[in-house]
Order: sequence, then structure tokens, then C-alpha cells
Amino acid sequence: MRVAFDSVTFSYGEYPALKTVSFEIESGTTTLIVGRNGSGKSTILKLMNGILKPTAGRVVLGETDTRTKKVSELSRSYALCFQNPDDQLFADTVSRELTFGIDNIGTGRNLLDLVIDTLELRPILSSNPYSLSYAMRRLVAIGSVAAMDTPVLALDEPTAGLSFREKEKVALLLQKLKSRKKTLVIVSHDLNFALPICQKILLLSKGSILFFGNRGEFFSKEDIRQVMRASGMTFPIYPRMARALGLTQPAFTCNELLIGLKAATTIKLDSN
Amino acid sequence: MNILIFEQYSYSYAPDLQAALKDINLEIKKDECTVILGPSGAGKTTFCLAAAGLLTSYPASVSSGTVKKPVPTIRTALVMQNFYSQITYLRNTVFEEVAFPLENMGLPRPEIFKRVNDVLSQMKIQHLAMRNPLELSGGEKQKIVIATALAQKPDVLILDEPLSQLDPESTSYLSDILHQLKGSITIIIAENDPYLILKIADKIAALSNGEIVSYGDVSTVFNSVGGKLVELPAWSICAREYETAEDGLSSSSPGYILGYKAALKKLGGQK
Repeated sequence: MRVAFDSVTFSYGEYPALKTVSFEIESGTTTLIVGRNGSGKSTILKLMNGILKPTAGRVVLGETDTRTKKVSELSRSYALCFQNPDDQLFADTVSRELTFGIDNIGTGRNLLDLVIDTLELRPILSSNPYSLSYAMRRLVAIGSVAAMDTPVLALDEPTAGLSFREKEKVALLLQKLKSRKKTLVIVSHDLNFALPICQKILLLSKGSILFFGNRGEFFSKEDIRQVMRASGMTFPIYPRMARALGLTQPAFTCNELLIGLKAATTIKLDSN
Repeated sequence: MNILIFEQYSYSYAPDLQAALKDINLEIKKDECTVILGPSGAGKTTFCLAAAGLLTSYPASVSSGTVKKPVPTIRTALVMQNFYSQITYLRNTVFEEVAFPLENMGLPRPEIFKRVNDVLSQMKIQHLAMRNPLELSGGEKQKIVIATALAQKPDVLILDEPLSQLDPESTSYLSDILHQLKGSITIIIAENDPYLILKIADKIAALSNGEIVSYGDVSTVFNSVGGKLVELPAWSICAREYETAEDGLSSSSPGYILGYKAALKKLGGQK
């Protein structure tokens, strides 16, 4: 399912969060939204399911103008995992938390086992979410939203507070959802986590779009360093090394970097 | 001089729950920076709450041992992992929010104005001063809570995952601020970000299942259990350290050692 923003403006009181923003996320793609704190990233996610309505312009989810439907109706198409998991969790067991959304929108439990097993939640199904660590609460929040099996899934800073191992579980879940042709939208500062998953990048600055396009195109830009610095981001390690080594293709994972290196040269290993 | 002493300290949130901290024995020295490292659920947040003296208020909890403050008058400030719950929302502007604890400390108004202006400038968030905290993004709220703690000029600053929602630029600012504060106040920080650890840690306490499994300087802990405990992205540590090293990378630095080993392992896997 596609999501389109058509000249969307949104203000919190007198402070503009988005300024005449237009873009279209194609069905089945994975998009990473990046930008400084306060650049409008979370606002975009909240506009997609009508929690916020545009001050001007329109947001179209599938073929539906979000101004014409209730959030409860739009939630059959779009699920959002909030930035703060504690805003989302309320059930007295992890199991009830994971099934609440599914049972309410009636999408069926097709993804439930996949989510539970990928995020390794089975040992804590009978636990109270509030007896868990913050990181585990975040995994439960992600799982409860992913299990809803909506065509569009958005995650706001899904790795905040997670350890490296937990990030790997979330990355694996997102890869599995990608293979099921879900439309994924991820807001994250954690480029090392998000870049290997995402095909498209939407870069925001002060409520305006600086770039929207393929990640390869983004990291092939001549002035990429300046663009990233001006947007408060650091140049992630793998694309930076690929560029420094003069590889023809950008790399977003260690393996891609090594494949690029192997193609370019013969690596002699010091087995010691 | 020790500023906090954990003596055989154990803590459970309820009698039927596994202990969150077990037999912790640790002396935290004045003006030292201690990083609490460990996987999720290891007890990092509980350690921070215990250090801040906040755990006694839980009604069903079970604890033994003590957390002693040799100087009872020391002031602590805590930035919680769930910083959203720390903003009072009683005030209409960020300026007033940051000033709130200073008013409660009974500071004179000119001093309050100076401290708030200084800390907003230090955190590079002067532009948020007149905004309502309710309207801010998650990352901006986290910066407000950190600014509120810094403005109090505490003897002990306790930060529980303070980088979680910050953009890379703000992460860099906060790292610089903590680096400047290092040596002048005691800092306890639960954080798994390797860059920050390498930049500011004097000591690392590695926790696993509520127990301290390693304690010492950065190299000692990283070389013993660091990688195993938190699965640090070693390649990234090496690269970040290389990026910031002025005179090249020392072959004895923890980032180099971990990065080198990880690189070899990865390369080996590609053979």
C-alpha cells in the first residue's frame, strides 16, 4: 500500500513542524526518515494514520484521504510503534499486549508466531510488561504492532535503548516483513542499523525535505559529507569506507564492504 | 575519597521476582566517571536508581546491604531512561521547566537565570527556551531533561542511557559536555555506546544478571568481558576511534584490539 503526502503543512500551535511537504512512498518499499531532533520525523508518522490531520494539503494512505476517516478505520491499514514504548503498553501480560491490536482490527494471527519467535518473546509471554526492562518493553511494543499484519508499518526510533543483540532481532523481523511486501517506514538516528534494511531515504531539515530517493543515490552524491554534516548526521562507517577505498558501489553492511573489496582486489589474510 | 559505597547491596522489585541487583560491592570515588555496562535486564537502571537513592520508596521491594554516602549532603541528579516521565509539564516553557528544580533548591533569581541560560547555551537549545515542553520531539525532550540535571550542578550526575533519542550531532555535544565535566564532578552513566565509553570512562562496571562480573579501567574490562556482554559492534569502535585519534590509532587501545579481532574474524569468514 502506498502513502502519499501532497503539499502537506502541519503546525503545533504557532510552530511549523512541516512546510509544504510532498513525496510518495511506493507500496512494498522500506523508507528511512532521518534528520535532526525536531525536524518533523515523528510528525510525518503521526500524519500517516490520521492521529494528526494536516493544517494544509492532504495525506493519502492507499487511496484514502486521512482527513475522511477515523484513526480506528485507518489502523487496519497502518500500524505505528511509538517513540516511547510506555505510551503504548497497557495490558497485564505480554501475551495480551501482543494480541490486543490483532483482535481489535481483526487481521488474524498470521504473523503472531513469527513475531514472537523472531523477537524471542516466548519466555516472557506471561510476564507483566511493566516488570520488564525498558529494552524488553520496546521489543514487546514493536512486536505488538508488527503482529497486526497491516500493509503499512511505521516504527519511531525502534532501536533506542536496545543492545546490539536486540537490534539484530528487530532487523531480522523487519527483513522478514520486507520479504512479505510490507511497506515499512522507519525513523532512526541509528544508520548502522537502518541503512542495510532501507531502500529509500527521506532527509528532513526544519520541516522541509532535503532529499528523497534511493539510498545508493544518496550516498553517491558528491557533496554527501557536507549534506550529512549540515543535517547533524555522521557519515556511517560502511559507506564511508567504501567511498574512501574507491569502490564503485556503496556498501551498507560489513559483508557488502568485503564483497566490494574482494571484487576490487585480492585480500591476503593474516591468520594470526 | 569515596562518594558512594555499595556494600553487599541486593535488590528485588518484589519478593517473587528475580533479584535485579545481587551482592554489589563497589566504591565510587569522587570526581570519577563510572560507566555501567551490560545487556538489557542486567540491572543497569536499577543500579542508577539505587545510586540516586530512589529505590527505598517501592513498597513491595526486598533489599539487603546498603548504599552509603560518606558525605550525606552530596547532591545527586538523575536523568532517567524513560525521561518522558521526568518532565513536570507544570510549566509552559522549557526555560521554566529547567528552572523548576533550581527554584526548589532556593537559589536566588539572578543565579537561576544565569544557570538556565548557560545550560541551554551549552546544550545548544536556546531556540527551545520559550517553547512548551509538550510540543517538543522525543529527542528535544531528552535534551531538556539532561539540561535540567546539569543546571543543578550536582555532586553526582547519574545518566541512564542519555543518548537514546539524540541525533548524532547532539550525541557529540553531550559527549563534549561530559568530557569537560569529567574530573570536576562524579558521573555514573549506563550506556552501551562505545564511542562515549571510550571518551569519558575512568572505570567500567560490567553487569550481568544483576551481578558485577568485571570492574576496572576501560582496557581491562573490554579485554575481559566487554565484547561478550554487550556484543559491541567492534568494527565500529575501531573506526570511530580511528576517526577521532589525533596521532593515529594506538595498537594498545581497546578499540584497536576489538576492531582488529572483529575485522580478522569477518575476513576469515569470507575466505
